[in-house]
Amino acid sequence: MTIEGTTTTAARPILEVENVSKWFGPLMALNDISLEIGPGITGLIGPNGAGKTTLLKLLTGQSKPNLGGVQIYGHDAWLAKAKAHVGFCPYGDATWDELSGRKLVAVTAGLHGFTGDEAKRRTEAVLETVGMADRAERPVRTYSKGMRQRIKLGQALIHDPDLLVLDEPLNGVDPVGREELNELFLLLAKAGKAVLISSHILNEMDELANHILFVCRGKLLASGSLETIREVLDDYPLKVRVSCESPRQFAPQLMALESVKSVSVEPPEDLFLEVQNPNRFYAEFGEFATTHDIGLNRLKATDTSAEAVFDYLMERAARPE
Amino acid sequence: MDSQPNISRFAACLQVFRLTLRRQFFSRQTIVIAVLLLLALAISVVWAVPKPWNPEPRTGEQLAEQILSPLFMGFLLPLISLGYASSTISGERTGQTLVYLLSTSIPRPQIYLSQFAAVLLLTMGITLGCLSMMCVTVGMDGLAVLRAFAPVVTLATVCYVALFLLFSAWLRRATFLALAYALMVETLTANIPGVVKRITVSFYANSWLYDDSSLGLNPNIPAYDPVSGGTAIGVLIMASLGFLALGMWFFSRKEYE
Repeated sequence: MTIEGTTTTAARPILEVENVSKWFGPLMALNDISLEIGPGITGLIGPNGAGKTTLLKLLTGQSKPNLGGVQIYGHDAWLAKAKAHVGFCPYGDATWDELSGRKLVAVTAGLHGFTGDEAKRRTEAVLETVGMADRAERPVRTYSKGMRQRIKLGQALIHDPDLLVLDEPLNGVDPVGREELNELFLLLAKAGKAVLISSHILNEMDELANHILFVCRGKLLASGSLETIREVLDDYPLKVRVSCESPRQFAPQLMALESVKSVSVEPPEDLFLEVQNPNRFYAEFGEFATTHDIGLNRLKATDTSAEAVFDYLMERAARPE
Repeated sequence: MDSQPNISRFAACLQVFRLTLRRQFFSRQTIVIAVLLLLALAISVVWAVPKPWNPEPRTGEQLAEQILSPLFMGFLLPLISLGYASSTISGERTGQTLVYLLSTSIPRPQIYLSQFAAVLLLTMGITLGCLSMMCVTVGMDGLAVLRAFAPVVTLATVCYVALFLLFSAWLRRATFLALAYALMVETLTANIPGVVKRITVSFYANSWLYDDSSLGLNPNIPAYDPVSGGTAIGVLIMASLGFLALGMWFFSRKEYE
């Protein structure tokens, strides 16, 4: 059972995955996955062992699917032609750590075929972009985990790829660094790049990704924007917290709204609503709030986070058909 | 990064070459090989120095028969070759850095060829350098021995590097297999009577040396039955090309974890 929201942004997809399955002996790592990725930030979410890394390896041409195909701008991802469009930042912090940060990025520029001034220019530009220009003379083996992530990101960016594939890029990065890197991802997305970020930390993606792929046990459970996926999960009423001045007074009236399934009061001033049709509810509630002076302080859906949506998806997937 | 990029596939391969050369040279293998070479040189010098019970200076023929053939050709040459070649790809694999090479837009066969060229240059430099130093221990007489051994060592090195690089593309712990192969197959099998030794590189290298009358080398095993120099050269060239082609094919198809 796969839930499909908006599968891509309107632009032409950079990456197309068609009915891909991958197995290792008796272990089915990926099962009939189809998706498209276009410009913007796409979050690949799933617990450890869900098949995220296997999927990323297929997308970056590190391995081949047993069934189906992966294409980047129409080229098979396994082929060198496709790899020119992809920047890959693999999981873990292994790299050629005997080199200095600057040398490492320069070597990567060389591996992409850049020479002379162009290689130097790209190296300096990328070091500046990932915030490592002032620390690039030190050998990579002396770097912290966060600095390694940045320098690896620099390696992935050196050839200015259209698709950036990042496997747990915020792993080990401090909160300030996370914010800086997230800003960088947003900038890249704004520049028309497709940024695919894999993470098992679900709330990381809430703010960042405009498109989410939920993967579990080798299956794509859902894809689309968080809001779209949440809306499609109509068997799980949306939970909304309303903070107002006299919750007990308004509870019965709110219960009368067609879209509201249940109301409970949570003292001192909160109402907790279960809503069946979110769009309809927001329309009804807006009208209600303007006709009744409820002294509204706050209105917040509590289960629209990636984590909550993922929990629902997992529950749904576990149910017998 | 908006200007027209100046991308060169040749430059990319050259970078793989330089990176491989650098990483292999500044490695533990170099330390182990340096120790082995120093030991071999020390043995050669001690052997060459005139003794009270044997005051005659050593000849080139004696050097070829007593030192170069058993010690250098039978032991050092495969060991130096495997030291570098077998750890090239498998080393990147165990260090989880192979992915950076495979993520570039260089076709895999070209990555393999660049790595082969780097390892070959390094191994060739060390084997020929070591051979030259060992030949010098017997003075000017050693120059004729060097002239005879150098082409054999060159071609045997190419063949060993191609073979051990194939192991490296195939297995994560390729050095163990290569060591077992060098000690069990190249050293033991090559020195037993019968036709089994014809699967070894050292058999053809030795056959080439036995064919060179200037050295006066003869097999010390009964029924060794060496092939002619021309055949040996042909087999070594074909085997090198075969191992290289097989390695390229394997490397370009294999999915590395």
